[in-house]
Amino acid sequence: MTQPFLSIRNLRKAFGAITAVHDVTLDIPRGEFLTFLGPSGSGKSTTLYAIAGFQDPSSGDVLLEGKSLLAVPSHKRNIGMVFQRYTLFPHLTVAENVAFPLRVRRRPEAEVKKKVADMLALVRLESFATRLPGALSGGQQQRVALARALAYDPPILLMDEPLSALDKKLREEIQAEIRRIHRETGVTILYVTHDQEEALHLSDRIALFRDGRIEQTGSGEDLYLRPATDFVAGFIGNSNFLAAEHLDTSDGTATIRLADGSVISGVRANGTFGRGEKTRLMIRPEAFGMERSPASAELNVEIVDVAFYGERRRIVARTAAGEGVDIRPTSAAMQSQDASPCSRQVFFDPAAAFLFPA
Amino acid sequence: MSVETRRNFGTVRLPAGFNGLLPALVLIVLFFVIPVLALLLRSVTEPEPGLQNYAALLGDGTYARVFFNTFLVASVVTIVTVLVAFPVAWMLAIMPSALASIVFGVIILSMWTNLLTRTYAWMVLLQRTGVINRTLIAAGVIDQPLPLINNLTGVTIGMVYIMLPFMILPLVGTLRAIDPMTLRAAALCGASPFQAFRRILLPLSLPGIAAGGLMVFVMSLGYFVTPALLGGTSNMMLAEMIAQMIQSLLNWGLGSAAAFILLVVTMALYALQLRLVGARRMSGGI
Amino acid sequence: MLLDYDRMGWLKIALLGFTALVAGFLLLPVVFIVLLSFGSSRWLAFPPPGWTLKWYQELFADPAWLDAALTSARIATMTAILAVAIGLLASFALVRGQFAGREILRGLLLTPMVLPVVVFAIAIYAFFLRLGLGGTTIGFVIAHTVLALPFAIIPVATALEGFDKSIEDAAIVCGASPLEARLRITLPSIRIGIFSAAIFSFLASWDEVVVAIFMASPSLQTLPVKIWGSLRSDLSPVIAAASSLLVGLTLALMVVTALLQRKLRT
Ligand SMILES: Nc1ncnc2c1ncn2[C@@H]1O[C@H](COP(=O)(O)OP(=O)(O)O)[C@@H](O)[C@H]1O
Ligand SMILES: [Mg+2]
Repeated sequence: MTQPFLSIRNLRKAFGAITAVHDVTLDIPRGEFLTFLGPSGSGKSTTLYAIAGFQDPSSGDVLLEGKSLLAVPSHKRNIGMVFQRYTLFPHLTVAENVAFPLRVRRRPEAEVKKKVADMLALVRLESFATRLPGALSGGQQQRVALARALAYDPPILLMDEPLSALDKKLREEIQAEIRRIHRETGVTILYVTHDQEEALHLSDRIALFRDGRIEQTGSGEDLYLRPATDFVAGFIGNSNFLAAEHLDTSDGTATIRLADGSVISGVRANGTFGRGEKTRLMIRPEAFGMERSPASAELNVEIVDVAFYGERRRIVARTAAGEGVDIRPTSAAMQSQDASPCSRQVFFDPAAAFLFPA
Repeated sequence: MSVETRRNFGTVRLPAGFNGLLPALVLIVLFFVIPVLALLLRSVTEPEPGLQNYAALLGDGTYARVFFNTFLVASVVTIVTVLVAFPVAWMLAIMPSALASIVFGVIILSMWTNLLTRTYAWMVLLQRTGVINRTLIAAGVIDQPLPLINNLTGVTIGMVYIMLPFMILPLVGTLRAIDPMTLRAAALCGASPFQAFRRILLPLSLPGIAAGGLMVFVMSLGYFVTPALLGGTSNMMLAEMIAQMIQSLLNWGLGSAAAFILLVVTMALYALQLRLVGARRMSGGI
Repeated sequence: MLLDYDRMGWLKIALLGFTALVAGFLLLPVVFIVLLSFGSSRWLAFPPPGWTLKWYQELFADPAWLDAALTSARIATMTAILAVAIGLLASFALVRGQFAGREILRGLLLTPMVLPVVVFAIAIYAFFLRLGLGGTTIGFVIAHTVLALPFAIIPVATALEGFDKSIEDAAIVCGASPLEARLRITLPSIRIGIFSAAIFSFLASWDEVVVAIFMASPSLQTLPVKIWGSLRSDLSPVIAAASSLLVGLTLALMVVTALLQRKLRT
């Protein structure tokens, strides 16, 4: 049996009456880029802090290569971290900041010099070595923080919403750098964000947090195409939920009746439902097409409004039962007459529709 | 244009919002600046015009000893105060507020209690037959009473007692302004608690320590009451000497010259402190 | 983690222990003096052989003590009123005024706080001797107001800097006269500062020793001068009784301050 590299076992953390993390269990292989995604207050930072050793968990364990980290103080854990706020040492220059972890490890001066130069090259800040952090922009400071966290070649890098204080353009620029650095160094990264786009863009795997628990773990594609719960479906990407009555399930695909009376079979059932049970059917806006195809199901809608968004159009529509439906076909798939307000049919693949409990 | 200019010519126009300062300025100029300048004038005119008072003060071994003592006491008091104040300020900056308010209460009580009352208490506590000596003898630690009063020990204890609040309170502010995350980052970088203290916490609190320490030093230099009551004749300080020259010896020339020296040293250090604090403000409160 | 109270382990215990010791050190003389004032030993033996109120009786039997206390109270009250009034006007000018040299003037007004008191004491002593103000109440009040002024200006100016002037402007736009706006909007908003100024200037005069020693005459003695004189002759327990009353006064002031601040904040 192979041992996971980093392992979180039944982690629980309570602050007095508030339980920040209820029960988190997760195995992370070496070299993975794993993202904790979830709304604010869902326990992502608390989980990360337990790994960093800033807080003792109420119960549970954190294991690195099979050995518990809990008794190891932060300064001996050999973990790198980049924080949400800039935590550079304000009285040290950029180079001294990056050198700090090496100096406290009493590495020889020649090695420190070389490593600092390498690290500053890695984050492309060679020319800023002698500046004080106060003289850098937010993006530059975070890149220095990244260099400082990687200077001692930690096997694990923790990042707690490192880009949330930056503007969009800068964010994308540094995202690209983080991906490149992950590729070049092979470090295992645990990345916290509440931004689903960032999570999808960066990670090998995403752990979706909700109220101190992990709702689902999987690749971005898994979470998007195969959401385990309606929360995941609602959090990742866009989704339409339509009220549906469950009629029958076989082999994991279900037959349901929508509020307008139409019966659809072949949708994916997430869970087991009784006959006549009230359920909700989730369909991605992108899953709708304007053309019928052999396997597709149909939905009668009244088109209320159409907007052009470049590669896609966005259609605001309503079912006969009055439920709002968001439809985003590719622009190429639409003819101009499709855009006029009217009643019409739209089509979707039932295999891309999911049935959840109401 | 020229008509306009001429209209205001000759009338004194005070800048906007200045009037409110007038009472304060009259008070300070009339009863502070002028008396102090008059005193300085006396130092070069009495008993006859010339610098002989300064020559006497700076040339004589007895006076040199007083100057030396003054600096010695002020330095010792400052160092001890900083060493004692820092851990207390550190805890006050991070401890739960309910606990902190108790300690703050004790500090304020001590600070607001009458200066002579506090000094009197120390005289009683430290004297040969005082509580401290009796307790130590009863406990068998010593068999002869320790000389705790009328010497450097007595002055240091009494002065540190008075200066502590002036050091602790501003330091709490400095320490509270440091982001705890910075120290967490240092720990994760591999810094042991000692290394984090030496390389991060201490340098970041240094501006506060320097500003507070300088203030304590300046205040100690010119202190009169506590050294006079707790110090000995062999380590008299400058302020006490000045008072004696005026009160007992009626030597106004020498007394005002000594006062002028004290004034110059104090003001120079005060200016230095302003620069320190000012520099700190400019660098964004770090 | 040196600033994480919950994660400091033995270091926290050590530092808390030290803090407790220092708090004890700060409390020791205050508590001690109160205990001694009730002790029956004339030689201030501790623990006292018995308890008594006789030092308080002696204190109140001597009219010189009461006289000195009343003189101090009178001078300190006048000083506080004068210093707060002058300091209030000066603070508005220093914070709101638009003129060159503001910083220098502020420095000048605050200088009495940093200049060694003994220098000012002999200067004003000599000056008042010439003017015939030595040993007079008015002389005391003037000298103490000079010393108290910085303690009046600092809290008021700080409060004023924290006050948003646009609120005052809004009142003026609503039809209030500038003076009315200041009296009815600004002053109430900075009342905590004004209150602190009053307490501090009162204490600056009430506790002032050095100027008082020079200025006092046999007929006009403040409480610190009276204590000073007694201290130099002997360490009588009567001083402990007087001191305990001063500690009581300090405690009362602290409680009043805390209560008022709480009330004013809401
Ligand atoms: N030190 C603390 N004391 C009390 N409650 C805390 C503390 N830290 C976090 N919490 C609470 O725990 C919950 C989870 O917080 P956190 O892990 O920071 O969430 P996230 O990082 O996902 O936004 C929140 O409700 C937060 O208020
Ligand atoms: Mg967080």
